[in-house]
This record gives sequence, structure tokens and C-alpha cells, in this order.
Amino acid sequence: MKAYAKAGAGRLLDLGLLPLALVVLFVGLALTEPRFLGPQNLINVLRGGALLMIVACGQMLVLIVRGMDLSVGSTMALTSVVSALVMAHLAPGSGPGVAITAGIAAGLAVGVVVGLCNGIAVAVFGITPFMVTLAMASIVGGVALSLTNGIPIYGLPEAFVAGLGRTLWLGMPPTVWAAAIVVLLVWIVQKYTALGTRIYAVGGSPQASRVSGIDVRFHLVLAYVGCALAASLASLLLTAQIGSGQGSVGDTLALQSIGAAVIAGVSLHGGVGRVQWVALGSLFLLLLNNAMDLLRVDSKAQAIVMGLLIVLVVALDEFKKRRKIDGH
Amino acid sequence: MATEAISSNPVLRLGRHVTWILVLATLLGFALVDQNVLTARNLRNILIQTSYTTIFACAQMFVILVRGFDLSLGAGVSLISVVVALVTTAVLGDGSAGLAVAAGIGAALAAGFALGLFNGACTAWLGVNPFVVTLGSMNIAFGLASTISGGRPVFGVPDEFSDLFYGELAGVPIPILIAAAVCLVSHWLLSSTVYGRSVYLIGTNERAAYVAGVPTRRFLVTTYVIASLLVALGAMMLTARTGSGEPSLGASLLLPSIAAAVIGGLSLQGGSGGVINALLGALFISVLSNGMNLIEVNGYLQDIVLGLVILGALYLDRFRRGRA
Repeated sequence: MKAYAKAGAGRLLDLGLLPLALVVLFVGLALTEPRFLGPQNLINVLRGGALLMIVACGQMLVLIVRGMDLSVGSTMALTSVVSALVMAHLAPGSGPGVAITAGIAAGLAVGVVVGLCNGIAVAVFGITPFMVTLAMASIVGGVALSLTNGIPIYGLPEAFVAGLGRTLWLGMPPTVWAAAIVVLLVWIVQKYTALGTRIYAVGGSPQASRVSGIDVRFHLVLAYVGCALAASLASLLLTAQIGSGQGSVGDTLALQSIGAAVIAGVSLHGGVGRVQWVALGSLFLLLLNNAMDLLRVDSKAQAIVMGLLIVLVVALDEFKKRRKIDGH
Repeated sequence: MATEAISSNPVLRLGRHVTWILVLATLLGFALVDQNVLTARNLRNILIQTSYTTIFACAQMFVILVRGFDLSLGAGVSLISVVVALVTTAVLGDGSAGLAVAAGIGAALAAGFALGLFNGACTAWLGVNPFVVTLGSMNIAFGLASTISGGRPVFGVPDEFSDLFYGELAGVPIPILIAAAVCLVSHWLLSSTVYGRSVYLIGTNERAAYVAGVPTRRFLVTTYVIASLLVALGAMMLTARTGSGEPSLGASLLLPSIAAAVIGGLSLQGGSGGVINALLGALFISVLSNGMNLIEVNGYLQDIVLGLVILGALYLDRFRRGRA
């Protein structure tokens, strides 16, 4: 436990860069681009950042247990499609209240099922997480697209779209509140509960955890279910924003959520990662995207920047670790 | 000891030939449903399709042997296809077709070399996890392909280029000849060169290989470069077939290449398997997708099937390893 706390403190010093980069980016944007400080743009950035934050929190859980979830994008697509189908189907007959409740439940159920499949394939069948989630991305994405044939699903209850997607609660979009709650919840679990400590332990050393009596498989499955649930939640919020169910939502989220996590110092070797940094990392990425949007950088070209950034950050991390080992 | 245990157990002995059995069973299964499957024309189609898949499976095989992985394969094909089309059409504008074809091949190999060097250097020298490196380079290559082509197909690839990679030589389709050459050269590389033998050592135990004097980093980079050069070759063949540079050409190639490699029996733990595994896996995937196309299985459903094949193969692989 002490080792993890120490690693956390070490990160804190390393990560002085991230808040600095965030501030520099923010000030730079505010000075060079007057549209940036407009309330609409700020709300858009916050909303996008919040969405990414929710997914990245889940991704962090999986990274902490030495995994990686490439299927979050497809999970979002399937959640969007399933919840929209349920709502559109129930809304005319049973009224918006029932339809919305059933739709949200169905969407979250998608997350639980995908997470269970990923977790069981990794924990029980012992298949490499990377391959499991890559294959699951193909399967789940295929299901989402064959349910819709690529056509968006309309007919969502107005209360869902207006009440969740296009309104402000106390001046903030609901997505921002949802992200705040998720971050707070994960923060409490990580900092104050035995569950959080056990998840770090499982990622830090599965062997040691096993011999000290922790049910490693259970915690692995839990992390994957948590990740997929977070993706489903984000997808429900996004579906409300768009106003229709789509089999193509979330396709860039796998890369972005991994990016937000590694920028925030979550190690690919497991056992390390704090949710508050991941929240900052998500905001940073969203600001970066927003900057590139305002500079009219094509969204395809933005993928180049994201790819380079991720490799660079992980390379720096490895370099630092190697120097530390050499130094001692 | 381990091999004895396998050969004395009839079920596991059968397991080693599981891919052959799968290929034949799938072919016969589809033949029962659709009588067009076993026609000479369709078998020829399957063989041509297998040539492409084999080349990509071989690329994946090289990196898997050193415990690596290449997610950038599909995006690499897109990028190289666009580069080939842009270079050949540009040179064709003020030169001969022969020159354009030569320039196109040169540009494709250069792009493949650069991609492989990036993947290899980040993996071997910077110590970044190969999954992350190639996830990054996948997005870089995809972004570059869309940006330099404007997101649209690049038309005007000279016919001479198509003839070279998609024609026939003495009645045999050129893709099949190229794939055969790739298999032979890869097999020779892996079985008869110092580099090839070292690849198995690195895949089994990189540290031990290093201590034994193998230049592990250099050979790792070489491996990623070889894989990307194969990707470039495959990209040229596919560009020749479509006659244009397509930024979306590679989108559906990554999963089959992985599926072929793992169903063929290559272990993700590295250090075991060879060309025959990639070839058999490619044959299976081609028979499968050909059959699904003939009985008109929706493309989305084919994605689901491929994902399930990968999961099934990896589950089997773990079983094989567990017993071996």
C-alpha cells in the first residue's frame, strides 16, 4: 500500500506538467481566438470534455488492472442503438416515462453484458485483454450496425432529448453533472475504500494479490464491467444530445480515452492511475481538439496528432522509468 | 517431453491439424448450401483472395513471432495505396508509364519502410508497448491517408501498374505467384538465416537472446520493417486490382490478418509457428469470407463472425499452450 502511495506522490511531481499545459493551452486559445471564450463554445468544450471524462474513467479502471479496452466505442454504438430502439418502440404505447426508464435500463444492460463478456474472456479464459476487446469491438459494432443497417433511429421521447441532452441544470449541461458524479464516485472508491485498494493491488501484482487472498478474477471482471458501464452512460447522454440512436457514435472514443488516461499518468503496466488526473487529461485533450477545430484542422488530420501524442507520452513514461531503474 | 505428451494424445494430435480440418469442413459446408462454391471459377477466386490475405497474415506473423503486434496494418495499406496512386499519376503526367510504375513501387516501399521503422523504433528503442505504438501509428497513417487524398479515391493509376500486379503470367494470376514467392522467401528467412533463428529466440525470451549476443533491438526493428514492407506489397497489389488509390482500402484488412494468424496456430506468446500457419489461416479466412459472400451474409454479420473466430482461436491457443 505504501508503495502505491509513494508512486502516487511521484506522479504528482511528474504531472506538474499537465495542469501547466492545460493553463497554457487555455490562455493561448483565449488570446488568439476570440470565439473560444464565447459561452456556447465553452459549454461545448465542457460537454465534450465531460463525455470523454466518463469514458476515460472507465478506461483507467481497466488500465489499472493491466488491461485495455478497445471496445468502448462499439459499446457506445450498441448502447445508443439499443436504448433508442427500446424508447422509440415503447414511447407511443406506454408513455414517455416508461419508455425512458426502459431505454436507459436497456442501454446500461448493454454495458453490463459487454463488460461481463470482456471480463470473463480475460479473467476466466485468460485471453490477452487487447485481443479480447479488439475482437469484441468487431462483434459489438457488427451487432449495432446490423440492428440499424446504418440508419439512425428517430422517434425518441421529447422528454429524453430535451430533458437530458439539450437543457442546462444550474447552468451546466447534465453531461457535466454526470461526469462530476462519476469522477467523485471513482475518487471516493480509489481513495477511501478497500475495494479501490484491492483494484490497485490486482493491477500492481496479480500474483501477490492472489496469495494474499484477493479474488483476482472478480476484480478483473469488475473493472471491465465498470469500464463498459461508463461507456454506456456516456452513450446515453450523447444519444440524448444528438436526438437519435446511431450505430456510428463513439468511434474515436477508444483512442481518445486511452489518450486521456496515459496523458494523466495511468501506467500501461497496471497498478497506477488517479481519477482526478484522468479528468484533467480529458479536459486537456478536449481543449486540444477545440483548438484544432478553431484553427480549422481537419478532423482526420487530428487523428495524426492524437496518435503521435499517445506514442510520445508513453515513450516518455518508459524513458523516465528506465532512468529511475538505472539511477537506483 | 512436451511434444511427447502431445503426440501420445490422439485428440491433441488432431488439434495440430485443426486448421486443415476447419478449411475443408467450411468449404464443404458452404458447398452443401450453395452449388457455386465448388466451381473452378470460384476456387480460383478463393486462391486469389487467399494470396492477399496470406501476404497480410505473413506481415502479422513476423511481428507476432517477436511477441509484437501490428494494428497499423490496415491503415498502412490505405496510406500506401493513396501514395502509390498520387505518385504514379503525378509522374505519368510528364513521363513514361514505365517510369511512373517504377516511381510508384519505389514510393510504396519507401512509405512501408518508414512505417515499419516508426513502429520498430518506438517498440525496440523507446520501449513502448507494441499495441500502443501501432495503435498510434494506425491513427497517424489513417489521418495521413485521408488528408493527402482529401478523403476521396485517387483515380488514374496506369494500366501498366495494374497489369504488373493483377495480370496473369503463363495463365497463372500474378497475385498467386507473388504470394507464393512471399511464402518461400519468408520461410527461407525464418529457417535458414541468422536473423530468422534469432527471431524465434527473441520471441521466446528476449532477455536470454540479448545475453546470448543477439542484437535484439536491431532485429526487432528489422522485423517491423519486413512486416511493413509486406504491407506495402499487399497495398500495391490491392491498388492494382481497384485501379485507384483508396483511403478506405485497408479498413477491413486488419481483423482478417489477425484472425488468419491466430486461427493458423500462431501463438501471441511469440516464438513459435511459421509461414505454414499464416498460409493455412489465410486459406481458412478466405474460404470463410468467400462462402459468406456467396450466400449473401451481411457485411456487419461478417464482422461479428470474424470477431468470434479470433476469440475462439485464442481460446484454443490457450488450451493448446496449457497442455503442451
